Amino acid sequence: MTTAHVLNISDELRRLLGSDRVLDAHSDLAVYECDAFVIEKHCPSMAVFPQSTGEVSAIVKLCNEAGVPFVPRGAGTSLAGGGLPVGGGVMVVLTRMREILAVNLRDRYAVVEPGVVNAALNRRLADTGFHYAPDPSSQGACTIGGNVATNAGGPHTLKYGVTVNHVLGLEIVTADGDVVQIGGPAEDSLGPGLVGTIVGGEGTLGIVTKICVRLTRNPQGVRTMLGVFDSVDDATQAISGIIGAGIIPAALEMMDQGILVAVEAAFHFGFPLDAEAILLIEVDGLEVGLDAQRDRVAEICRQNGAREVRFAADAKERLQLWKCRKQAFGAIGRLSPSYCTQDGVVPRTKLPHILQRIRAIGAKYDIKIVNVFHAGDGNLHPILLFDERNAGEIQRVLAASGEILDECLECGGSVTGEHGIGLEKLSFMNRMFTADDLDVMARLRDALNPGGLLSPGKLLPTAGACGMEQVHPGRRAPL
Amino acid sequence: MNADILSPDDQTGVAEAVRDAYEASRAVYPLGGGTAQDYGVAPTRPGLTLELSGVAKIVDYTPRDMTILVEAGVRMVDLAATLSAEGQHLPIDVPRASEATLGGVVATNWSGPRRYGHGTIRDYVIGIHAVDGRGVPFKGGGRVVKNVAGYDFCKLMCGSLGTLGVITRLALKVTPQPEQSAAIIGMCGDLAAAELILSRLIHLPAPPVAIDLLVGSAWDLGSIIRNPQSEIRNPSVALVVRVEGTEPEVAWLAEQVQYELWSGGGSAVSRLEPRDAEALWTRQIEFADRGAGEAADNSPLVVKIAVPSSAVAQMIAELVAFDPDCAIAAQAGNGIIFARFSQFGHADLTNVLVGKLRPAAVQLGGSLVIVSSRLEGLTPHLIWGGRTEATVLAERIKQQFDPRNILNPGRFVYD
Repeated sequence: MTTAHVLNISDELRRLLGSDRVLDAHSDLAVYECDAFVIEKHCPSMAVFPQSTGEVSAIVKLCNEAGVPFVPRGAGTSLAGGGLPVGGGVMVVLTRMREILAVNLRDRYAVVEPGVVNAALNRRLADTGFHYAPDPSSQGACTIGGNVATNAGGPHTLKYGVTVNHVLGLEIVTADGDVVQIGGPAEDSLGPGLVGTIVGGEGTLGIVTKICVRLTRNPQGVRTMLGVFDSVDDATQAISGIIGAGIIPAALEMMDQGILVAVEAAFHFGFPLDAEAILLIEVDGLEVGLDAQRDRVAEICRQNGAREVRFAADAKERLQLWKCRKQAFGAIGRLSPSYCTQDGVVPRTKLPHILQRIRAIGAKYDIKIVNVFHAGDGNLHPILLFDERNAGEIQRVLAASGEILDECLECGGSVTGEHGIGLEKLSFMNRMFTADDLDVMARLRDALNPGGLLSPGKLLPTAGACGMEQVHPGRRAPL
Repeated sequence: MNADILSPDDQTGVAEAVRDAYEASRAVYPLGGGTAQDYGVAPTRPGLTLELSGVAKIVDYTPRDMTILVEAGVRMVDLAATLSAEGQHLPIDVPRASEATLGGVVATNWSGPRRYGHGTIRDYVIGIHAVDGRGVPFKGGGRVVKNVAGYDFCKLMCGSLGTLGVITRLALKVTPQPEQSAAIIGMCGDLAAAELILSRLIHLPAPPVAIDLLVGSAWDLGSIIRNPQSEIRNPSVALVVRVEGTEPEVAWLAEQVQYELWSGGGSAVSRLEPRDAEALWTRQIEFADRGAGEAADNSPLVVKIAVPSSAVAQMIAELVAFDPDCAIAAQAGNGIIFARFSQFGHADLTNVLVGKLRPAAVQLGGSLVIVSSRLEGLTPHLIWGGRTEATVLAERIKQQFDPRNILNPGRFVYD
């Protein structure tokens, strides 16, 4: 890509979109040089703001003609660098495509543009008796287009499944600029499962311009409770006990003492600060069975050494509990100036083992690690605390992160449960997959993104790249 | 035509067989239980049948993780027995489960009546191993229920009909078996009445696991209705709703469903006796394969139609207008209709199927495919409908995964 190419396309994009929807001054672009993964920075050559599928298609065609790479971006909440423009190029910002195009309760679906914020759809659905189930912690900011790209999860995916389980159809602009409809409200579209492949494709297989999502009936009732444990081991045994008893809670989250201290300082919920771990557990369903289910869960917690099980008294207390959980990351600034969040997954029965290992790894590298995570799914989010002004600490954080993720793989798990590979985890791909696996993945990408101009440098490692080792981990917390 | 059969006993054997075939540019036809060989176009090119019943081990099952790793040739009935011993299940209902293999279910993207409450097979596959058209083994996903590392081959291969790779191993997420289930039946005066009830059922406070609309005299439902006081206005349009849960949940929900059926205008509404419910359930699951009764109905043409749920009644009305003796089972909550025609001539393929029924489904954003047929000379175009923008993308993937076009050539829409 040459500067001349970009200049040339810049004029054409202005003709297409008008000057106010094309940014190319460096001062305007600085905000787009990273997403919630702030370790690496890649500034786009320009950012454009389409308002329709036709405009996205025209932009993509212009980029193809000029040989300029392009990358879609939603709200920029990716924790793995999924929205970064590696090597520059045109950033296609989809936040102005934010219409909810249809809500059809009879057929239980909604059609949204990619820039619709996750929580905005649920606000629209309030009072309908239905909701959109995937609820990533960033749901107040993240877009459904971005959720589709990363196949986002959230606390309630334990019972209700992740994004892909709720996407019925997509309209995409292909890497060539063609507009293609895949799936829709009618189920079982013919042939290979393209919808499920593009969901989680991290924007490398097409730019999603419309999403048809399944709506879920609201549960009749909810019971939320807090299990308080004196040991992390007991808490993880309780998780195993609940799942083993054939109960699938709507959510089953764990916070350890390290994070509890910060959350309590921020939200004053009244968490016992001497507890080593708490479980936030929610069961939902028909009222007629709920109290029995709640009591059964409480009993299993007590059998596994819970010193106390508290029930959320009302809807307000429940919301407060969830606020503590979902905004836990925001509270970490109270603990350290920088932190690095990991996203490993292990089989549920390996939770006691992996948490012991994480403690040992933290001690080995002298790095404080706190945990807040989707325990029911086995999806860990160990948070490594450090000060990025201390170069030695950074190296130790890198080594500790790598060792934790390697241990997840040893347990038969994965290096990412919901954040994606993006740029961050590129170096782990060849630890998880063989060269043949990666070759077939590259073939899939080449089939739908043959020129490689769409979202280059993401998801699949290129030969010789070693991603994370080259860069500084972590992010500065607001001071 | 496919006189050559190989029965490898592991993935290495499968890979070797495909690699040899690749080098010889010879067609390979993967074969599971053989229960879906009528689905899609039968092979015309000579080649090798790769029979997978020997690749059928239960590799690892950790009930407390609620995941299982099995080889693709495992029979659905054997998988169910393994899971059942630990109080768990894979809630995907397929006909001829004693023959059908898991790999075949994934390749055909087959799901049954309980999809309303439990989803479809793609929601349960968390890891996959397969061999591509060059004989290269590859995998996607893993052993954990949440995993977004790399492209999701688990989803891609669902419905790929053996054209992208030979599936050798699958990791599944499984769920606890419900304590109880119940079936509630109600007769609908006509199809419009059925739609009225359907539109009410979606608002139930907990979703049933299955909402089936059974149409046609072949169902012969009179014998299982134990509510003779109630006048049966039309025994040939019935809604059968299945609920699952704990004992109090099932009791409560069964009452609610009966209320909705009754207040929506249904007649002869009742909760079926367990034995009747079980017998009818078997017929519902086997319907796509043999018909509404105990024995095969020898239908000349069986189609599967997918439309939005609200269009099911209207679509069925078109089917019945053409063939009043057509037998139909619709997974109405999901908009899936299986129709078994009592009569269907070759000329009807053009006039009725291509001329009317398929365009009606396509106009509603859906599809119509031929599941099986006794008619000669069916082309891919007749079976699947023409290529779409989406199948053109699928074809590009096919070219990358199977560059010499040896995997199940001709079965799907691409050449």
